[in-house]
Amino acid sequence: MRLWTQDEFVSRRQGEWTALSDILTSGKPLHKLPAADISRFSALYRGACADLVHARDVGFTPDLVSYLDGLAGRAHNILYAAPPYRIAAAWDLVAREFPRALRRNGRFFALGMTLFFAPMVLCLVATLFFPEFAYQVLSREQLQGMADMYSEAHTGRDESTDAGMAGFYVHNNVGIAFRCFATGILLGFGSLFFLIYNGVVMGTVLGHVIAAGHGKNILTFVCTHGTFELTAIAIAGGAGLQMGYALVDTGGRTRLGSLRAAGRDLAIIILGAAIMLFIAAGLEAFWSPSAAPPPAKWALAGVFTILLTLYFALAGRSTTTARPGLRAGSQGIVATPTPGGRP
Amino acid sequence: MNHARAQASPPGARTPPLDTVAEIETPEHIRFRYQLAGPGRRMMAYLIDLAIRGIIVVILGLILQLSSYGFGFGGEGFSTGAFLLVAFAVEWGYYVLWESLWSGRTPGKRSMHLRVLKEGGYPTGFLDIALRNLLRAADFLPMAYSVGLLVMGLDPRFRRLGDMVAGTVVVVEDPGRIGHGLVVQPPPSAAELASLPARPDLSSADLEALDLFLRRVGTLNPAREQELADIIAPVYAKRLGLQYTHSARFLALLYLRAIGRTA
Repeated sequence: MRLWTQDEFVSRRQGEWTALSDILTSGKPLHKLPAADISRFSALYRGACADLVHARDVGFTPDLVSYLDGLAGRAHNILYAAPPYRIAAAWDLVAREFPRALRRNGRFFALGMTLFFAPMVLCLVATLFFPEFAYQVLSREQLQGMADMYSEAHTGRDESTDAGMAGFYVHNNVGIAFRCFATGILLGFGSLFFLIYNGVVMGTVLGHVIAAGHGKNILTFVCTHGTFELTAIAIAGGAGLQMGYALVDTGGRTRLGSLRAAGRDLAIIILGAAIMLFIAAGLEAFWSPSAAPPPAKWALAGVFTILLTLYFALAGRSTTTARPGLRAGSQGIVATPTPGGRP
Repeated sequence: MNHARAQASPPGARTPPLDTVAEIETPEHIRFRYQLAGPGRRMMAYLIDLAIRGIIVVILGLILQLSSYGFGFGGEGFSTGAFLLVAFAVEWGYYVLWESLWSGRTPGKRSMHLRVLKEGGYPTGFLDIALRNLLRAADFLPMAYSVGLLVMGLDPRFRRLGDMVAGTVVVVEDPGRIGHGLVVQPPPSAAELASLPARPDLSSADLEALDLFLRRVGTLNPAREQELADIIAPVYAKRLGLQYTHSARFLALLYLRAIGRTA
């Protein structure tokens, strides 16, 4: 039953639709509008919703229905917007959420560390005792290049080359870390491969350079930023393994639902790893190749190692923090069966 | 979240159309339909963002170079290192920053009318955005987003891997507009309109069909127009128990009466 004709309906209601549309196109977030405008906005939004239902119900022409659909949809996005970002939430991530998430998923963290550092140490030792082993892993030219690069100590005199190479490694190593994580979606096999592969390559290079007699140079260069960088790679790989494991052991959910249930922790962990990588990048570009004396570099590496260990073990342990942390969407990353999702 | 999903609706309920449309239900129990963004549109948005990222990196690189040569600030090593840090930050931070500060949009997405939403139609949180964008590394494999495109093609909601893990979809936000009212030439007289009953009982599908036909009238060959009208008009005349002389005119009048136009 049609109470109004379409033309009557449009001419009566169009004023409000335009008013709502104007607020939407002004592009201001709702919480920055004056209070009167906010309550007016919600009234206009509810009006548009009612109009949409009415238009659909009585069968007005499709262009009107889709216009109202779009209008109410956009208003909905503004009204139910994500909470504004607070510095406190970022601080929460660093100070509490990241170490907590790591501890919560400690077995994947441990697995990542093992899969990365065990091959590294094995190959390092193997190369030291059997120098020929290195040539099984990398080509002669690559190894020669590595040895040449560390044939001189980093004294800060050759800064431009050093910073250039450091920049290359920033890209390279960050890429490695993110690849270690992201390829975990292939049932974890990607993370498994990249963790072991990178452990093998890094261990071999380290062993070869040490065997070539430049051990002091490379270790002094690597020690400070390596604390952050290598740990972050292992953490990222562990998160990738966790992602793959969520696809296998679903705990009764759909595969996609299980993945999404793990998503919040994964996001926190990988963000934490990204922050660590950024710190590592800064150190690698400016501190590691600098003219600072080796003892200073080693001392700093030691301090960082202790601080990182304490941070992972202790940060965020207090139970008094009632503040809400980072929010992932208004409903969080909740596991729900997903139609259309491929199991 | 559940009620937004088609499967959670009671059995026998209308199945969602086989189309690139996502339906969500709000706390007001209103259902919105969003058009899902396909690979083509998203690729365009990506290319625009890629160009913007390139320009940002080049400009910042030039500034760093100039500050190094012009003012002797920090030396060449400093500027190279800083440049690579900037490139790193832009490569990984661009999407996260824009999408979280601009409610699911980047400049590229904005220009293609795209927006990232949670699957239930909720706005995306920071963690979702970080997750979906870091997983670009997986979608990119082995090169040029091959995996992402493949997965998108297989998924009915055009999600890439990052979207699946973070639970997001990319939708088209068409601002839309109310089409101008249908103009019937020559304008119908009151007598003509009165010859048909007021507000004949037509469904919205009927109206849509008539609307589509009448909007095409000006562009059709007159003979073709007549031919089409001769097919449709008897159907309605029979159903509503009406007589007519000119089939196309009859359809136009019927439409006007149905939407309640009096002149």
